[in-house]
Amino acid sequence: MTFSLTLSASDLLLLLPELFLTLWLCVVLAVDFSFKRIVQEQLAYLTILGVIITLACLAWFDMTGITGTLFGKMFVVDRMAIFFKVMILLATILVILLSIDYVHRFSLFRGEYYFLVAMSALGMMFMASANDLLSLFVTLEFATFGFYVLVSYLRDDMASNEAGLKFFILGVFAAGLLAYGISLVYGETGKLVFSDMSGATPTTGLVIGFLLIFAALGFKIGAVPFHSWIPDTYHGAPTPVTAFLSIAPKVAAFAILLRLFLVALATFKPAWALLIVAASILSMTYGNIVAIAQRNIKRLLAYSGIAQVGNVLIGLAAGTKMGTDSILFYLLTYLFANLGAFAVIMAISNSVGSDEIDDYRGLNRRSPFLAFAMLIFLLSLAGVPPLAGFIGKLYIFVAAIKEGLYILITVGLVNIVVSMYYYLIVVKKMYINEPLDSSPIKTTGPLRAVIYVGLAGTLVIGIYPQPFLDWAVAATLMFSNLIGPAASLTPPVTPFGS
Amino acid sequence: MLEEFSFGFPILSYLIFLPLVGAAVLWLIDDEDLLKSTTLGITLVELALACLVLVRFVPDSAAMQFAEHARWMPALGIGYHLAVDGISVLFVGLTAFLTVLVVIYSWDTIRNQVRLYFMALLALETTTIGIFVSIDLILFFVFWELMLIPSYFLIKLWGGGADRHYAALKYVLYTLLGSVFMLVGIALLDINYHQWAVTHHMDHVYSFDLLELLSVPIPLSQQILIFWLMFMGFAFKAPVFPFHTWLPDALVEGPIGMAVMLAGMKLGTYGFLRFTFPLVPDASKSEGVVAIVMVLALTAILYGAVVALVQSDFKRLLAFSSISHLGFVVVGLFALNFQGLQGSLLTMINLGFSTAGLFFMAGFLSTRQQSSQLSSFGGFAKQAPLLATFLLLIGMASIGLPGTNGFVGEFLILLGAFKAKWWFGAVAVLGVIFGAAYFLWYYERAMLGPLSKQVSAAVKDLHMREITIALSLSIMILWIGLYPSPFLRMMNGSIQALVDRLDRAKVASVDTVTHVPAK
Repeated sequence: MTFSLTLSASDLLLLLPELFLTLWLCVVLAVDFSFKRIVQEQLAYLTILGVIITLACLAWFDMTGITGTLFGKMFVVDRMAIFFKVMILLATILVILLSIDYVHRFSLFRGEYYFLVAMSALGMMFMASANDLLSLFVTLEFATFGFYVLVSYLRDDMASNEAGLKFFILGVFAAGLLAYGISLVYGETGKLVFSDMSGATPTTGLVIGFLLIFAALGFKIGAVPFHSWIPDTYHGAPTPVTAFLSIAPKVAAFAILLRLFLVALATFKPAWALLIVAASILSMTYGNIVAIAQRNIKRLLAYSGIAQVGNVLIGLAAGTKMGTDSILFYLLTYLFANLGAFAVIMAISNSVGSDEIDDYRGLNRRSPFLAFAMLIFLLSLAGVPPLAGFIGKLYIFVAAIKEGLYILITVGLVNIVVSMYYYLIVVKKMYINEPLDSSPIKTTGPLRAVIYVGLAGTLVIGIYPQPFLDWAVAATLMFSNLIGPAASLTPPVTPFGS
Repeated sequence: MLEEFSFGFPILSYLIFLPLVGAAVLWLIDDEDLLKSTTLGITLVELALACLVLVRFVPDSAAMQFAEHARWMPALGIGYHLAVDGISVLFVGLTAFLTVLVVIYSWDTIRNQVRLYFMALLALETTTIGIFVSIDLILFFVFWELMLIPSYFLIKLWGGGADRHYAALKYVLYTLLGSVFMLVGIALLDINYHQWAVTHHMDHVYSFDLLELLSVPIPLSQQILIFWLMFMGFAFKAPVFPFHTWLPDALVEGPIGMAVMLAGMKLGTYGFLRFTFPLVPDASKSEGVVAIVMVLALTAILYGAVVALVQSDFKRLLAFSSISHLGFVVVGLFALNFQGLQGSLLTMINLGFSTAGLFFMAGFLSTRQQSSQLSSFGGFAKQAPLLATFLLLIGMASIGLPGTNGFVGEFLILLGAFKAKWWFGAVAVLGVIFGAAYFLWYYERAMLGPLSKQVSAAVKDLHMREITIALSLSIMILWIGLYPSPFLRMMNGSIQALVDRLDRAKVASVDTVTHVPAK
């Protein structure tokens, strides 16, 4: 395999968003070091400015249709990559806004916090573009390094340290699996790029290799049985980091999963579909059932997040163009509802100092706005129409029914009812129970901004989803050419003999 | 059936969204009296709009009238499609009518969180009207699910019983369980349409529009599957025996206003007429399906009536009589002939007046004795003659005495049932006898005889607002009872079209493959 590093200006153009963000991060770091007295809020807004410019750049890519590959297909820019990057950057902006009040709780290195958040985002942007096994490994680790530090950022808090340690050990373990899996796959096929692998014959080594890679990615998305780090890590990590962790790495990992399964493994769809179905059923059922017993809202969202990943996997199990559309769309709806819910959690935590669900009693009396926002977010997560989550679930279910995955659908539907139960418990505490302490809860500007964005996203996507659907459909359009032959190789099980 | 009329302005959208806008307006009002009168004003305007629809509705027509059509999510084939026909138009009027009465009833019976209560009530009206006028199945589903949220709060926050938290949660989870199955059925219809479209005009289109789905044939085996999936949704909501256990809890524990809306709006059975029968006619009339559903419905009639007989709490009695009445409605539906369907539809409307009316009565009783338990009453007619008179009249309608609306509906259902199979009718008649027994027995013990010690002399008869409610219900009961033809004429066209479709299905089911699409 020859590898040349002759880059032209037009090649670099494809890397522009990443290059710009890298430079901007250096500037942020330099500003932090040079001006000792700089207010950390200003650093936050400086970082956000950089992320927004990067977003604008991506929007320009999307509109002008700039696409291509770099470094011998290692790095790909297509509309799907852009979709995922936009989601990651949106999440980053919202998380930075969430952090502004929280950062005061850190005793040291407040400025570096923003740098680390944005650096993780940068790593995840690369993940969205990863198109071969090497870049898969490098970008995944790049993105995770930032999180290792961020999770244990509350130095004096035992829970945060524990969370950091667990996350680190399991993360490194997953990295080991990934490296081993990659070496097996490369050894069997001699190929690194996903699209070159599609014709490979399945050998034992190849199967084991892919299983290992799937396990490593399973850790990132938190699917059962690779979920064990999630509850403690979510619980112990600083809340904004939990919020970030609950959406961005999952989004990025799904970008890789889509490319891996629908490009490299397209021909083995009947084989891996079973694997995904199993992971999906386990994730939904386990996540929802355990969520019922939770007393801490962060843990509740951790388990509900496991269940939500199970839902997304339904789309992957369908393995069609429609399935991928639905995954993209679902992740988008999940982003708004989840980060909105975390914003409410932070507002309450800042004023009450606790994340126990019992402290949500009578929230409606203390802050009708927060209670209403939380209601909308939880109902969207549960999939109640006409909120965004409903359209997302509907889309995924339609895609799966089309492939005849009836058992999976039945389990998914029963799980919706189960999840409604624990979401309603929170709703009940907020609206029905008397408050223990009736002092009103104050929210600060940045938190309000995140809640407004979350509400707007949840309501607008729910009521008028068409542009977002179109965007998701267009994002996988390029991609459907890649999986096109696969679809004809494995004709979908049609429920109706036409 | 596929014809459509439009009206000059989007009156159905106004009907849906007026209460919702009204609920938002209530947010701005602080004064309690102004709050109540605003709500009353909104619901009266809504009623006027509904009456306009009823007056301008062309009777004896199967057409979809007042249609509004807009694209919503073309990628998924979801449209904003509203219309009414003979099946749904009366429900729109009924919803608007009952909401006004509930507002009047709640005037002085709701004392805490008044603003939130009326907001929830208006939201409930929006979703209920939405359910009745939606032609797009997803739009319908959206309102169907959305209805749970105001209902949940209404039962939970203003319910009287100690178990209202349990009842509210049970109601939501049960209905949700049913409706997720229904959603699968809806998705199957969509995919069937898609595949048919792909093979016929080589076009990747999806549709959840009832009228478009009707134009596509569905193989019998798929129809059966879709039937049972949709059946789950509608049976849980109706509720059809044995999915009824949430109903007594929700009706008894919830506030009267919620009980009126829940017992008065036969959403589940409406679903059968609106969606199940036209969409899957072959399955609806296949022998196995009819047999199973009939057995369930007949069981419900007898079970509900017998259990009602031994209740000492009036609200609980009404809940079980509701289950029994729903059994009647289902028997009429699955008789699958003109009389049966027409009788069922009319009975659904009738129950909106009589059962809902009896719940108002239960409310009047409870406000006087703080309970609807039999032990608190006895000889009550002496103390409150007006109340006793209205209770008797509305009760007679519920029994189905000639001259009241209940008679017309029940008679048609029995006629249809006998025509379908004699023993359907024979068993159903038993229900009528039991129905008379449980109501009259209760009435005798509670109202007649010597004045009980429990009843204090200070108990007053009905006051103006209560008389307004009772009187307007009585007028409707007697109107339909004595001169039903305007109401029957409104439904005739659509019912006839539905019967034709079902009959055509019989011919086609011999050779399903060549089933001729309606369009």
